Amino acid sequence: MKLYHLVLKDILRRKKRVLYAALGIVIAAMTVVGILTIATAGQAKIYSQLEKYGANLNVVPAISNVDMRLGDLSMGALMVGENYIPEAKLPEIRQIADGEIRKALGIKDDVDIATIAPKLYVNTKVKGTSLLVVGVEPKEERKIKTWWKIQEGKYLEERDQALLGAQTAQLLKLNIGDKISFNGSDATVTGILEETGSSDDYQIFVPMQTLQTAFNKEGVVSSVDIRALCNACPVEIIADSINQNITGVRALAVKQVAETEMGMMDKMNKFMLALAGITLVIGAFGVVNTMMTSVHERIKDIGIMRAVGASRRQIIKAFIYEAVIIGIVGGIFGYLAGTLVAYGVGPLVFEGTAINYVPQYLPLSLLLAIFVAVVSTAYPAFRATTVKVSDSFRSL
Amino acid sequence: MLEVKNASKVYGEGDTKVVALNNVSLQVNKGDFIAVMGPSGSGKSTLLNVIGGLDRLSGGEVVLDGKRIDNLDENALVEIRRGKIAYVFQQYHLLSSLTAIENVFLPLLFCGANRESLDKAMGILKVVGLENRAKHKPSQLSGGEQQRVAIARAIVNNPSLILADEPTGNMDQETGAEILSLFDQLNTQGRSIIMVTHSPEVAKHAREIIFLKDGQIVDRVEQKGRI
Ligand SMILES: Nc1ncnc2c1ncn2[C@@H]1O[C@H](COP(=O)(O)OP(=O)(O)OP(=O)(O)O)[C@@H](O)[C@H]1O
Ligand SMILES: [Mg+2]
Repeated sequence: MKLYHLVLKDILRRKKRVLYAALGIVIAAMTVVGILTIATAGQAKIYSQLEKYGANLNVVPAISNVDMRLGDLSMGALMVGENYIPEAKLPEIRQIADGEIRKALGIKDDVDIATIAPKLYVNTKVKGTSLLVVGVEPKEERKIKTWWKIQEGKYLEERDQALLGAQTAQLLKLNIGDKISFNGSDATVTGILEETGSSDDYQIFVPMQTLQTAFNKEGVVSSVDIRALCNACPVEIIADSINQNITGVRALAVKQVAETEMGMMDKMNKFMLALAGITLVIGAFGVVNTMMTSVHERIKDIGIMRAVGASRRQIIKAFIYEAVIIGIVGGIFGYLAGTLVAYGVGPLVFEGTAINYVPQYLPLSLLLAIFVAVVSTAYPAFRATTVKVSDSFRSL
Repeated sequence: MLEVKNASKVYGEGDTKVVALNNVSLQVNKGDFIAVMGPSGSGKSTLLNVIGGLDRLSGGEVVLDGKRIDNLDENALVEIRRGKIAYVFQQYHLLSSLTAIENVFLPLLFCGANRESLDKAMGILKVVGLENRAKHKPSQLSGGEQQRVAIARAIVNNPSLILADEPTGNMDQETGAEILSLFDQLNTQGRSIIMVTHSPEVAKHAREIIFLKDGQIVDRVEQKGRI
């Protein structure tokens, strides 16, 4: 028999009291785990919503602007000439974007990371109406415009197909299977997008090659969108690097969007952590209370043990063993209860969010629970050992 | 081996002040048996408590084997409780969550038990005649049996002095006599005993009887022809 056997025996005999003491810990750990689990799900949700902002970087041809000024009055800028980015520069752009992200995140392998979606814009007449036809790389475009939903038909798959914005389809009275022609080339309408509320609604999307061939623009694109959506993605560094190393293009970080993303995330994290912290403090008070009662109830037992030769350290150690056991029980059940609460409450907080249990919160819950239990036991236990043995016998 | 010099103990102050011990001196030799008698509230328990360091003196000294022990710190007192002085109480004071054998084992646990310790505890339990009750909890034992467990626990670390506060106070005469014969046995083995009792019958076993009243020693009786 060792000291911890003694503790275990005592705990087993006082199951109810110990469970009661553990209950405070369970509630504290439950709340913290619940809040964190919901916050994690909320973050995932916010991320997926943020993806709708699309590109993080926009690369356009470096065109010469002529400022129009009338004295001090700016009249805006006049763009000069038709400008394009040679497709040959796309691999360089990818290299820089992926390289900077790898550097920032410490990634070693060299699969493609950023999504790079080139576009060719041509203003032309279709069925007598002047509108913008956009040449895209279907796969890349889809990755950037995650919010696109097909209302009818299907997405672009091969050459000479066309995807219509919702308004375009309505205004031109076009349906799936209809043929449209621009600059003498034909394309078949294969899909119609749902309304997006953006200028996409008024455009026609065709595969890049189709548009390039139709307007003799082989090997050039109008702009490139780059998406590297992750917390630590260094969009501004990527932009600087592209500007320095590639001539003839100008890269712009979509800074504002990136900053709001980070800002929102940051505020939400701080709020959740503050909430969890406050809960923990309140929970800890409850735990201190039950632990104090539990120690006090055993003042006499402490006196007996000291009378037969227990040192203060041994008594405190015994109580700390007990606290660790209570902490482990409380931490495990707190984690389980907190996860359950998150599953129940989470979808109400972030509408329709799918909650996922977070295994990493189990060790966190255990550590917190053990810490709170030990801290709140150590002091009353220490105090109890300062009671005179003769007085402790009087206490019951 | 033990000397109490001018011990006094005062509880509280002002209106609630109680002088529990007033200038008490006594001497205990090796193998001595001293009985302490006196009316309720006369300071008997207080005397035992201050001797064993369960309570602090207000004045005077307690000297054990030539060294003052009344002014020792808690850690030094722990050493004394692990082998020099042991207690037996009227209310037994066993740990109710532990079995008889575990209660006897407890003092060994606190001073670093080894493999043989459990056998040792069992051996001591045999001495008090309770080997067949080893796995019983205190709630499953009679008063006399509980007190025998408490005595076993007191002697398992081989103390030279046993302080017993009314060890037979809760028992009928027959059971009390059994317990008393255990003390006699310990005494003949050379252990010193100070025992508080209300019973003149019990006190007859002692070499000297000390009578306390209002914290003062009012009479001492040497018993030559003790039982
Ligand atoms: N912790 C304490 N605080 C205040 N007064 C105390 C305390 N302990 C004992 N006393 C007082 O000291 C006096 C002596 O008490 P003590 O317990 O030594 O008496 P006793 O002789 O053992 O009595 P009994 O035969 O009833 O056990 C009593 O008046 C008691 O009220
Ligand atoms: Mg008494």
